[in-house]
Order: sequence, then C-alpha cells, then structure tokens
Amino acid sequence: MSERILVVDDDREIVKAICILLKKEGYETLKAYDGLQALDILSKEKVRLVLIDVMMPKLDGLSAIMRIREKQNIPIIVLSAKSEETDKVLGLSMGADDYVAKPYQPGELAARVKSQLRRYTSLGDIYAGDRTGEIKNGRLTFHTEEKVLYADGEPVRLTATETKIIDLFMRNQGRVFPAEEIYRRVWEEDAFASENTVMVHIRRIREKLELNPKEPEYIKVVWGIGYKMEKQEKNN
Amino acid sequence: MDIKWKNKKKTISFLILFLGISLSLGNLAGILREKPSNARFWQLDRLLEDDYQESGRFREYVENRLWKCLVMATGGEGLWDTWGYEDGAYYDGSYEEFYFPLEAVEGIAPDELTEYLDSFASMQENYLGLLEIMEELDEDQWTGFQSELEIYQEEMESSIEFLRDYVPRLDREQAGGLTDDQKQKIVQKYHENMKGDKNLLYTIYYDGKELYNNWDTAMAEGKTMPSLPAGYNFLLYFDGEKANIYKDGKEIDVYGDGYYRDGSDWHLPGYINFQADDSTKKAVVYIAVAKEPVLYTQGDYGSGGARQYDNALYWMNKNLQDRRERILRGFYGLFAGLPLLLIAFFWKKSCKEAIEGIAGFQAKIWAEWKVLLFFLLFYALYMQYRVFMTVSYGYDIWEDWYQVCVYDQSLDTVLWFFRKLAGGIHPVSWVAMFWGIWLFWNDLRHNKAIWRHSFGAKIYRAFTAKSLSLSMTKKMCRRNLAVFLTALVYGLVMLAEVTVSTVWDSWGILTAMRILFVFETVLFLVLQYMAGVKNMKAARDVEILADRIAQIRNGDYREACDREEEEKPVESELKTVMAQLEDIRHGMAVAVEEQTKSERMKVELIANVSHDIKTPLTSIISYVEILKQEEELPDHVKDYIKILDEKSQRLHHMVQDVFAVSKAASGELPMQMEELDFGKLLQQTLADMEEQIRGCDVTFRTELPDAPVMIMADGQRMYRVFQNLFQNAIKYSLQGSRVYVALRVEGHLALASVKNTSRQELDKDRDFSERFARGDQSRTDGGSGLGLSIAQSFTEACGGEFFWETDADLFVVKVTFKVI
Repeated sequence: MSERILVVDDDREIVKAICILLKKEGYETLKAYDGLQALDILSKEKVRLVLIDVMMPKLDGLSAIMRIREKQNIPIIVLSAKSEETDKVLGLSMGADDYVAKPYQPGELAARVKSQLRRYTSLGDIYAGDRTGEIKNGRLTFHTEEKVLYADGEPVRLTATETKIIDLFMRNQGRVFPAEEIYRRVWEEDAFASENTVMVHIRRIREKLELNPKEPEYIKVVWGIGYKMEKQEKNN
Repeated sequence: MDIKWKNKKKTISFLILFLGISLSLGNLAGILREKPSNARFWQLDRLLEDDYQESGRFREYVENRLWKCLVMATGGEGLWDTWGYEDGAYYDGSYEEFYFPLEAVEGIAPDELTEYLDSFASMQENYLGLLEIMEELDEDQWTGFQSELEIYQEEMESSIEFLRDYVPRLDREQAGGLTDDQKQKIVQKYHENMKGDKNLLYTIYYDGKELYNNWDTAMAEGKTMPSLPAGYNFLLYFDGEKANIYKDGKEIDVYGDGYYRDGSDWHLPGYINFQADDSTKKAVVYIAVAKEPVLYTQGDYGSGGARQYDNALYWMNKNLQDRRERILRGFYGLFAGLPLLLIAFFWKKSCKEAIEGIAGFQAKIWAEWKVLLFFLLFYALYMQYRVFMTVSYGYDIWEDWYQVCVYDQSLDTVLWFFRKLAGGIHPVSWVAMFWGIWLFWNDLRHNKAIWRHSFGAKIYRAFTAKSLSLSMTKKMCRRNLAVFLTALVYGLVMLAEVTVSTVWDSWGILTAMRILFVFETVLFLVLQYMAGVKNMKAARDVEILADRIAQIRNGDYREACDREEEEKPVESELKTVMAQLEDIRHGMAVAVEEQTKSERMKVELIANVSHDIKTPLTSIISYVEILKQEEELPDHVKDYIKILDEKSQRLHHMVQDVFAVSKAASGELPMQMEELDFGKLLQQTLADMEEQIRGCDVTFRTELPDAPVMIMADGQRMYRVFQNLFQNAIKYSLQGSRVYVALRVEGHLALASVKNTSRQELDKDRDFSERFARGDQSRTDGGSGLGLSIAQSFTEACGGEFFWETDADLFVVKVTFKVI
C-alpha cells in the first residue's frame, strides 16, 4: 500500500525532511514549493493527502486549500509556523482537516497523517452513517453496548475504569465534570483526594487516544473546574 | 419582649421621666417661691404654719396699731403716713383719704393738685420740644413759633404763680404745724376708717377717760385683764408703761431680759432701752384680735358703692392660708414626682433609648431652627415674666435693677435683686426653662457637630464647589443668583427703611437721599445682572473648554471640527487658551499615534522574528529526528545527535516562551476569563505534574481549603503560571527539601503561595522575574529563563497580582486574586 502524499512548503529542506519521514512510514511523496505548483500537481497526479504550509510565495496555503476544496475532498493538513488559536481556527474553517504547528514533532506529524489517511480511505464509507449504539466524536467512535472505543476505526485498548470514564465522557460531550463527580460515577465511591486518581487515569487515556498527549484535543482539563470531552466540529 | 412593647415602654418610661422631673422641679420651685423668707425649706412647721398670729408680719401690724392707738390717745400728730403693705401682699383698703388727708387741712384737693402738676409737666415738655425744633426753623416759621412760645411762656408763668400760692399751705413745717383742732379731725377721720374692721378691737383711754372704742361692749377702765369676746384669742393690754400680751389665755413674755435688740420679737415701749414718754404714760390701750378674721365691708350707697375697712388682718390671714394651701399642694406634687423619678431610674435603659430617640429626631432639625426655638422660648418666658412682674408690682423689674445700680451698689442689694428676680419666676417657667436647656444639652451630647446639619451649612455646601457634581455653569449660575438675590433684598430693605424714615421728612433731604438710594440700588442691581450674564457666558465657555480637556483626557484626540457635537466656537476671553489646548491636543495626538504605531510594530516584529526562527528550527528538528533514526552511526555521533536534539527542543521552547511573554506584555494575549475554583486549579496542576513531582527529590506539601475559592481568571493561563512556578520549585529546590503550596482567603483576596528552599544561595538584590533570569547565572540548565516572567505577565493579564520575595534561601511567590 503506497499512498501518495503532496508536501507543499517554500522551504525546500523542510519538504525534503518531511519526505524522508513519510517515506520511512511507507508513503510515496510529491513535492511542491508554492501554492500554484501544488495545484498544478494535484490537477495531474492522484494524491491521497496534502501537507501544506500557509505562508508561501505566489499562492498562499489558505487560498490553495480553498482552490483544492473546489475540486477534491482529500484530507489536507496545514503545517504552519503560526501557532495561535486564531490561526488554527482560520485554517480549519478554510477547509483543512488538521493543523500542525511548526516546529512539528516528527512522530506526531506521522501519526496525524496516518489518522487522516485511515479515516479517508478505509473508514470513510463504513462510518458514513450512524449506527445504533454508537457515539461519535471526531476521530473517536464509542460502541455503547460493546463498550469499545475506536480511534480512526481501530479499537483502543482500555482498562475497565478507563472505559467507564470514556463512557461518561462520550455520552456527555462538552460537559465539564469536576473530579469528584467523575470519581463518584466511575468508582462509585465517595470522592476523597480524587483529583490525583482521576488525573492519572485521564493522562493514561490521553496517551492511548490522543495524537499528541501533551496537547490533547479530546480529553481536556478545564483548569479550576474539572475535565471534559471536547466536542469536535468535524464528525466524519 | 416584642418590639411593639419595647417601643411602648420607651415612650411610657420617657413620659414618666418627663412627668417626674416636671412635677418635682416645678413644685420644688413653687415651694421655694412661696415659702416665707424667714423659713428654711426643711422647716416644715414654719412652712406650714397656719396660725397667722405667729407671723412677724402680724406682730409688726399689732405693734403699728398700738403705736397708732397711742398717737390717737396723745393727740394725733403723725397719722397721715399710715403705713401700707410691703412685699407685694394684696391690700384692698382705700387709704388714700387718710394717707394724704389734705382736704382735712384746707386748700386744694389732691386730684386738683395732681392735675396742675400734670399740665405743668406737659407744658414744660412742649416748651422743650419747641426749643429743639427752633434750631431748624426758617424766618417765616420763626415768627409764627415765637408767638406760640410766648403763649406757652405766659401759661407756664401763671401756672407757676398759682402753684406758688399754695406752696406755704402745702408745707406744714412752714405753716407752723397743725392746730389741735386739725389734729383732732385727723384722728376722728382715722378712727372712722378703722373702727369698722372688727378683726382688731381697740379701746383707748387717756387720763382715765375713754377716748375711742370699737368694741361693742364698753370696758371698765382699769389695769385689769378684760374678758375677750367670743372668737377673739389675742389680747394686748398697754398700761401706759408696759404692754402685756395674752394669747389663748396664756401670757406671752414680751420683754425678755428687758432690753430691745435686733432679734427681739416685739418692738413695743416698755423695754429698759425703749420707754414711753410722760404723756404716753397716761394712755391705756386694749387691743383684741380675732382668731379667724373676716372681711368687713360697709354698704356706702350714698357715695355710690360699698367700701371695705382696713381688713389688713383678714387679708393677712387669707394670704397665709392661701400660701399654706399652695405650699401643701407643692409638697403633694413633689411627693407625686419623686416616685415617678424612681420608676424612671429603674427603667433607665428605656429612658436612655427614648432620649437617644429624641436626639435622633433633633438631629434632623436644622440647627438654626433649634437655636431660634431656644431663644424664642426664653424670650417668651422673659416677656411673660416682665408682664407678670409689671402687673403684680406695678413696675418693671428693671426699675429695681436701675435702683440697685444707681443708688445702692452694695452686694446685698444685688443679691436681693436677684432673689427677687428669681422669686418672680413662675414654677412653670422654671420647668419650661429646664426642658429647653435639657433639649439643647441633649442635642449637643448625642449629636456630633450639630452645625453640620443646618441651613447655613447647606448654603455653605451649596457654594463650595467640591461637594457638588453640578457643571461649572450651574455652579456659577447659582452663585450669581445668590448675589443677585442678596442685592435685591438689600435694595428692598434700604428702600423700606428710607420710606419709613420719610415719615419725618419735611425738609427734602431725605427725599433726596431716597432718590439717591433708589438710583444706587437700581444701578447696583443692573450692574450685578450684567456682570452675572457676562460671568455665565464665560462659564459656558469654560465648560466647553473643560469638556474638551475631559475628552482629551479620555483619549479622544480628534480635531475639534471633526466632532459632530461641536458647540459654537469659544469666545474672545478664552480664545487663546483654547488655541493652546488645541496645540497640546495635536501634539498628543501625534505622540499617541506614534506610540501605538511603534507598539504595533514591536508585536509584529516579535511575531515575524519568531516565525522566521521557527522555519529554520523546523528543519533542524526534522533532520535531527531523521538522524536519530539512523542506526548505523557510530556511538559518539549518536551522542552528538542527542545533544543537537535537546538543544533544538530547548530552542523551540524558548521561542514559544519569548512569543508568549511579549504578547502578554503588549496586552495582546487573548484571554478567556471565567469563574473558577482557585483551590481546584492548584490541585489539578499538581495532579497534572504528578509524575514530574514524583520523579524529583523534593516533596510537595499542600495546604488548600476545602471550600471552593472562586476567582475570575483564564484557567489555561493560570495553569501555565503554576506549572512554571512548580517547575521552578522542582528545578531549583535543595535536594530533599519541601515545597509548600498554600491557598488562603484573606478578606476579599485569595492568596496562593509557593515556598521553596533554594539549592543555591539567593542573591537578594536580584530581580528573578526579570526576563532570562535564572537560578544560576551560567544558564546551563534547561529553562528559557522566562518562567517567572511568564508567570508574572500571565497573572497580571488575568487581573491578579504577582509578588515574590526572598528570605535567606527561602524563595516565596505569592499570587493574589479577588475572591468573587
């Protein structure tokens, strides 16, 4: 299985480095150094995924994404030195599927690429419609009856307690739970010094399902209040 | 005890106190006022003496009557100045006829003489008045008045001559004394006037002959003790040398050791040092006095009515009994008032509350009213007093004062005057005075600075600018109005005064003055008005100016003409000021623009620089990663790659931190403020960093409250703050030492503190929150040196306060937020 990925950046060394990284993961790569070139390649070649920088000569990344989206539905990951919240929101709302800030951590980048591809190729159709007993949130799907969590279609191995926590979070996406409540509902005991226990489990869950556990996208701490499952906007 | 009863009790207890004090004080004053001057307050037997014959006044009366009787017996010289009553006691005997019995002597009747004297006095007054006017007369008037004066002069001369004719007849000394016949007439007249008063019976013998007698039964002459008629209990028997007095059948010791002294009870002839003369020795007088005197009146219808006899004893007794009655009533009142005072004493607390309540009510009244009422009360009392004194004594009390000041300036008379003054005050007035003073005192005691709440203070406040939030124009307007009104009042008062004084105007000077006054007043008012209008205009300009300054102060640097609400251009007086202000505004606008521009450029620069650093850094990190995955490299090369990896990661962090700090410093950091539990935030942060904490060799001790401490902050940022603080603590703490994390609520502040013992000696002069400052100066550890700086900027961006301090090697960071 060799899938073709287009890497677009005006910094040739970065393009080269990413290509080396992706080749090691077993992907084929195409290189472009500005937006126009990228569009040109996309119109000629069959590409499964695009990694694109924002600030580029001739045609900037965001404009290029808009142009790509006019024709194609392939996953697009934005790679940018702008790491502010507003930049991320802008990029995602322009049609990008993911946003990775420079300097990226190679491992994380690879994981994100893999995640996007899996969802696009192998899972895209299967998970097109809602099945009963399923709760979805972005990359995650939770089978409430089987009590199994899937990330990008692959089951995540969770302990019984972790599953209970995930059950609680998936059923109440967006709601903030204080640690005491989580403890009461999961352990079914009176909460005492619950903060640490809950935090330990949450950290473990994060390591299992987040692409970058240090900057979690799904299970977040609401500082000074509690914990919550962030509801993702894209639910493919 | 419910509140209703409490309030009732308050009212009742105060009423009791009020009644108690009023009754006690009023009656005490009443008793003191009524008490005879020779008795002390505690000498109850003397105060309540009901036998009038025990009084000094009675003795005096009897002494006097004996004297009169002896005069009657021996000839009759000296009866015209029969004594009246002193001390304001009421005496209804018409004694004018024997007081000045001129008609018995011959000549003019007393009323005729009085008439002459009166007309003479008025003529003299007119004459003096004319003399005064004369000085202001012109030629024509002069002659007219002269003839008038001549008429007066003639009249006066004839009057004086007429009176002069009578002078020898009036002057008995010059006339050579009365004849025996005249004396006899006077005595006869006196006897007729006195005999009808059967309260005092007298029989006068002279030389063995009975001369006068008003006893119904004739008495035998002789030095024997006569039997008294029924109802009479007092007998005085003068045998020509000595007087013997019997009362209720018992003889009274009259002469004591035989010498008359100041303190002796009876002033009668018969003492060794007070003997009767030879002619008197022929007289024998019996005087009997009724036990209970009655009023004797004679129907004197021929002369048009009834007339009373002397009746002095009747009135003496009646006055005594009345006074006794009044004193008794006073004691009853006093004894009614004292228990009330006792009750009030037991209800002290309620009374006190009631008094405070009254003080609270008083606090609401303008001080001027209070003073006015206070003076009105005293003025009313004073006027009442003067009227009372004038009515009861027939003259104003100040005439006495005049006497004291002018004629007899001894301390005794001054004291006498004040005793009389005080004695004249009615008990009710004393009570009213007491309460008036009490109210004033109560007000002063309970209400601080009573002048603060007064009309004057109100006016004062109205005119001191700082207490008013009114616009300047309004303030000036008020001031002008006040000045104008004052001027108006002044003018009106002056006009009124001048109009009144023109009543006496007959020479035109006052008319001229009035015109001048009118002119002056009108001018004054017009000027005031004009000045006021001018000032008001200026005030409006000043207000525009002030508004402009306020706008500039608030950061509105637009050109004056840019603003829609622009008022009419400022006028002459302030034109230059306005122009100068515009210059300042322009300067400031330029400066502010420059500053914002440079600020913006700075942030942009940092953003660009960090972006520009990030791009090559991405390459470095990427290739290091690739190198790391190369397996065939020699070990020493792998070591090098490891170092490259660490340093590139560190550089990455530093870039991020620098970016964060600069954004926070320029206030561009987006914040998501929300209510959060400070304690929980600390717990979560500690839990989040648990692995790190467990992995190091310092122990964390926490002291967090169980109850939530809610603050308003950005949770994410505050997590960064404490993450940095804890990381620093882990990084710089002495091995095996403890880090203390505590949260306390102090008043409205939540105070979180992180204390750790430094591994290295702390330089106490160093600012650790300074950017790039680190525990050791060599900068070889992993941090960017921005930890504290970030913590401080983030805390401050969240609206909290960030302090740090060092105490020897103890490093303490404190973060405070307002508790909501």
